[in-house]
Amino acid sequence: MTAPTPEVLALLAATIDAVVIMDDRGRITAFNASAEEMFGYRAADALGRNVSMLMTSADRAKHDDYLKRYLAGGEASVLRRGRDVRARHRDGSEFSVFLSVDRIANTAPPQFVGFLHDTSLRRKALATLEQERHINRLYLDLAQVMLVATDRAGLVQLVNQRAIRVMRKPGAQIVGSNWIENCVAPEDRAAARTAFRALLMSGSDEPQISEYHVRPSGGEDRFITWRGVALRDTENVATGIMLSGEDITDQRRAESEAHKALERMNSVSRLATMGEMAAGISHELNQPLAAIANYAQACVRLLRLPAADIPEVSGALEQIAGQALRAGEIIRRIRSLVRNEDVRRESQDINDLIRDVHGLLASDARVHDGRLALDLAMQLPRVMVDGVQIQQVLMNLVHNAFEAQGAEHDGAPFEVRIATRLTDAADVEVSVSDLGPGLAGEVEQRIFEPFFTTKASGTGLGLAISRSIIKAHDARLGYRANQPRGACFYFVLPAHQELPP
Amino acid sequence: MKDMPQTVFVVDDDDAVRNSLRMLLKSAGVHAEVCASAQEFLSTYEASHPGCLVLDVRMPGMSGLEMQHELNLRGATIPVIFITGHGDIPMAVEAMQHGAFDFLQKPFRDQELLDRVQRALARDSEYRARLRHTDQIRERLASLSPREREVLDLVTQGKANKMVAGDLGVSQRTVEIHRAHVMQKMEAGSLAELVRMMMAVAP
Repeated sequence: MTAPTPEVLALLAATIDAVVIMDDRGRITAFNASAEEMFGYRAADALGRNVSMLMTSADRAKHDDYLKRYLAGGEASVLRRGRDVRARHRDGSEFSVFLSVDRIANTAPPQFVGFLHDTSLRRKALATLEQERHINRLYLDLAQVMLVATDRAGLVQLVNQRAIRVMRKPGAQIVGSNWIENCVAPEDRAAARTAFRALLMSGSDEPQISEYHVRPSGGEDRFITWRGVALRDTENVATGIMLSGEDITDQRRAESEAHKALERMNSVSRLATMGEMAAGISHELNQPLAAIANYAQACVRLLRLPAADIPEVSGALEQIAGQALRAGEIIRRIRSLVRNEDVRRESQDINDLIRDVHGLLASDARVHDGRLALDLAMQLPRVMVDGVQIQQVLMNLVHNAFEAQGAEHDGAPFEVRIATRLTDAADVEVSVSDLGPGLAGEVEQRIFEPFFTTKASGTGLGLAISRSIIKAHDARLGYRANQPRGACFYFVLPAHQELPP
Repeated sequence: MKDMPQTVFVVDDDDAVRNSLRMLLKSAGVHAEVCASAQEFLSTYEASHPGCLVLDVRMPGMSGLEMQHELNLRGATIPVIFITGHGDIPMAVEAMQHGAFDFLQKPFRDQELLDRVQRALARDSEYRARLRHTDQIRERLASLSPREREVLDLVTQGKANKMVAGDLGVSQRTVEIHRAHVMQKMEAGSLAELVRMMMAVAP
């Protein structure tokens, strides 16, 4: 047994793999630092002992036989070929190593060198990787969104369960096929291609949004909103795309239903407001009609008299003409209210709108034994509004104010005031205030909620709809306590900047 | 009590309606006075003034219904014709339940109004005449002496002079004299007429 030369020792010390040299009887003749670390033996303890102490009990029994067979002229399967074996640590624990053994040339009796590479870490890494893959798959499949990855050509590389469910076909029919040709609704393919190309060309990792329909097999098209990013290789070249899609078909449908319902509510409210005011309107219209009938019938009687009083008859005829015009004016105002046209925003003078609806509001006031006062600021900027809608809001607010008047009002007529003023920001504030009981705290909190009402026969929609109308005018319908008492509802309309001609 | 002219009182807050009603009534030869509010009418109205009332149901301040209630409290008997708009039928029903004479829906034919006004005025004068008649009977009753009143009560119970004399413990001749005074003071031409008079003032 010859001791290794210093060069060999240096080489052994520097080798990261464990190196064990043994003689023809299996005794350890060299045991490097890495081997010490791997097996837990110090070199001094290992030298001279049988190498089988480093093996599991299963291998240990066979090792001497392998060695003898080789020395007797047989083949050794282990030589020059590496293989995975189990090794045994000094503490008895076992671990996996990649072992390669060679006979050291020109040694007689022969010596063998073994290189041992600890593969536990690699195995562990592989296992971890496998688990990560599994978790990633779970992530994909748990996701509430559709996930689709394609290559540059648009061939699907990966889909998750959600996408499979939406498309109603097996994953195998999707993966490998062209995403756009196979899954996107024909009408939307052009748009999908454009979005696909834009993604591949984009230099950004910022998700890009697109929306198109997919066509499930044997089902209705689904409308999907997609967030897409390009997949890139290490050279930053786009190799494909990844899409996450949310099925918004039902949501869109619900939104559209809600929109329709709101539209219906708007016209219902207008009709309801009309209904509430119908008594006032019919009274209002009956007055001139009754007066006309009376005057006309009086004229007939007067003219039948032998000496007709012509000045009296002509005075009555003038009254008839005046009352007919009064009736026409009432009808004109009613027509402008029941018109159910689209929202038309025009540059308007808010004071004109208020004066225009004043007559009708005043008749509401009369029905409620009240008075309507106007406090309109001069020289206000014009506003971009739908006049009819703003008038509807005013009618609702004024009507509410009269309805809310307390039982006691000191004998004096209950007064509701419509005021306009210029705000500090040079916008136009419109307010409807009264000197009634005002709103209690909990009522104030909920007053704009749909279906919340303090009236016995109220729908609870008036204020909610008024608020949505004002919101549609980029403004807010608000409430504040009136000074010195009562309620005040107000909204601020942005001043409309007239373009210079 | 001398006859005052009958007046149709019109109470309506709408100038045009009020004035056209006055003109229509005037053209039909009916004397009308107009008021713009219930308060104005109540402050000037005297129950002794014969006529009828044409009253708008819906008015600011005191409504027609409230005014009717007030008149009922005062014991006023003036017939009330309500004029109403289309939406006021329930109010009209309520008004009728509280003793309104009639109601009219605006706008109306002049003859409809004038017929109702004539009927209301007839009702008022009939009522007032009846009232005058019973007042007269009471006045005449008050002029009887206690003994004459006793004779009247027994005679109108259907008793003959002889029985009356027996009841009162006087001679039949004395009863005859009292009875003649009763017929004269009561201005009754017959016993039957005397009985009718007593029934008219019976409580």
